[in-house]
Amino acid sequence: MKINDAKDFWSGVMFAAFGLAFVAFARQYDMGTAARMGPAYFPTVLGGLLLLLGVVIAISGLTARTTDGKVDRFHFKPLLLILGAVVAFGLLLRPAGLVGALAALVIISSLGSDEFRLRDVLLLTVGLAVLVLIVFIYGLGMTVPVLPSFLRD
Amino acid sequence: MDLINNLALGFSTALTFANLGYAFAGVVIGTLIGVLPGIGPIATLAMLLPVTYALEPTSALIMLAGIYYGAQYGGSTTAILVNLPGESSSVVTCIDGYQMARRGRAGAALATAALGSFFAGTVGTLILAALAAPMVELAFKFGPAEYFSLMVLGLIGAVVLASGSLVKAIAMILFGLLLGLVGTDVNSGVARFSFEIPELADGIGFVSVAMGVFGFAEIIANLEHKGERQVFTDKVGKLLPTMAEFKEAIPAVLRGTALGSILGVLPGGGALLASFAAYTVEKKVTRNPKIPFGQGNIRGVAAPESANNAGAQTSFIPMLTLGIPPNAVMALMVGAMTIHNIQPGPQVMTSNPSLFWGLIASMWIGNLMLVILNLPLIGIWVQLLKVPYRFLYPAILVFCCIGVYSINNNSFDVTMTAVFGVLGYVFFKLRCEPAPLILGFILGPMMEENLRRAMLLSRGDATVFFTRPLSLVLLLMAAALVVIVALPQISRKREEAFQEVD
Repeated sequence: MKINDAKDFWSGVMFAAFGLAFVAFARQYDMGTAARMGPAYFPTVLGGLLLLLGVVIAISGLTARTTDGKVDRFHFKPLLLILGAVVAFGLLLRPAGLVGALAALVIISSLGSDEFRLRDVLLLTVGLAVLVLIVFIYGLGMTVPVLPSFLRD
Repeated sequence: MDLINNLALGFSTALTFANLGYAFAGVVIGTLIGVLPGIGPIATLAMLLPVTYALEPTSALIMLAGIYYGAQYGGSTTAILVNLPGESSSVVTCIDGYQMARRGRAGAALATAALGSFFAGTVGTLILAALAAPMVELAFKFGPAEYFSLMVLGLIGAVVLASGSLVKAIAMILFGLLLGLVGTDVNSGVARFSFEIPELADGIGFVSVAMGVFGFAEIIANLEHKGERQVFTDKVGKLLPTMAEFKEAIPAVLRGTALGSILGVLPGGGALLASFAAYTVEKKVTRNPKIPFGQGNIRGVAAPESANNAGAQTSFIPMLTLGIPPNAVMALMVGAMTIHNIQPGPQVMTSNPSLFWGLIASMWIGNLMLVILNLPLIGIWVQLLKVPYRFLYPAILVFCCIGVYSINNNSFDVTMTAVFGVLGYVFFKLRCEPAPLILGFILGPMMEENLRRAMLLSRGDATVFFTRPLSLVLLLMAAALVVIVALPQISRKREEAFQEVD
């Protein structure tokens, strides 16, 4: 079967899947009655509506008459590097301290750009580390380990 | 006069040394981030929200309001100088603003935008101050049924007036509402959709959603298009518009202000709609323009810039008096208020008058600072536009990550933000406008609460929404909006209106 508007089709599939998931997971909670709604009531109604709309959108994507419905290519490199850098920051913050986590964040995320230059990135890392230490640690008194755990007492 | 007393109280709060400082800091940081291409007020606010956590509530809100105006104004600067709208509401400004810059009138365009915005901001603030008290009185007549209907109207309004597919926008709202329900249910104490993760039992962090979907997704999207930026920095030219330009701009500013003030109050309204509408009206009203629209007509800058600032100002009215955000930016402000343990709604004005009036007064002060700050400092912002993106985005990420972490001192929130970054990127690729999602996310818990209360009071009789007159009127308005937009002639016009400026 030919999909005419892929953007709409896949949006519909996404919405339907999320709607279904909310309805399914809400089943373990109490529905209650209309007068005394349980925790499952509102999510089930909303999830059902979302499922329904998702199906409608997906079908309209199949039947639409359009010529530019193709989904643009996903650029996985920036996606993975940027968000990977963010996750790395979160995971490293306690063990490696603020400076280590910041360095990881800046270096990994910089790889996402096509104009990566090691020297510039290292300079940027040092500059940002100094700025962050001044603003957040000394300025705002944020309580977060600065140095890696093996350098702390 | 009450109004004068109230404003006096407001100014006495806003004019303290500390609050002036926060307003100033907000305006500067807001402009700084807002000037960056591709980052609009929503993303700016989402990124900078955590900065204000340490402050006391009044100062925090004053600073956030400053950030909002700053970002809005920074967006216009980018629109005029780079032809890249930093935000959707300055898309229109690009058209004539950039053409003026190419004719060597960049300075005049920037000055017109600043002065027009200041005038519109002053009018908007006065309207806000005057309407606040009567609106609050009206709000006290609202029961849970009315609140529920009002939120339905607000959400429908947001969908109708947004660009893009209606059905998709409604789906995004539903999705947002559902995401808002994650976490412990207040009535039963059940941790819903938390998958045994303790952090999720407190609900999904508002900042994680906003920063992920708007901030991170935008950075990734920006990295895809490389080398398309050409900054127009040769010369900004003389700042002051000529007499002839003034004469042309003044009526446009007045019309833009009037239109923006009205549209800002509407659910779903605010800056974006106001600037689109003002540009269209200006084109219709002006017969035989000396310089055609689209080629650097000063009215094309003056009208939308005044309108979006007036709209930005008056969209605070429903947020402050009813506690219902009319658009995504106001949803962020509501989020900020709840983080500071202030439940937005009519009681804020009575229980927290110095916060309420102080915020209103500081809006005007913020606008004034913008004019003073931006016109002489324009050279600095231009320099900022020259900084390569590969330096900017890692720096932005650093501040975002530290900000998210510092809300709860919790790495889980940082990971969650990355998850929403993925989602935001998928939305971007599938052309799903994310603003309705954030509106739904904020309104989800409020809607459920009011629905439950209304149904409990009526003993499970759903007709209560139609038998209470105020509620019925609100629902009829919502239905009318849907019908009007679904009409074939109108829907075609709506598409045209949004396409005209693409």
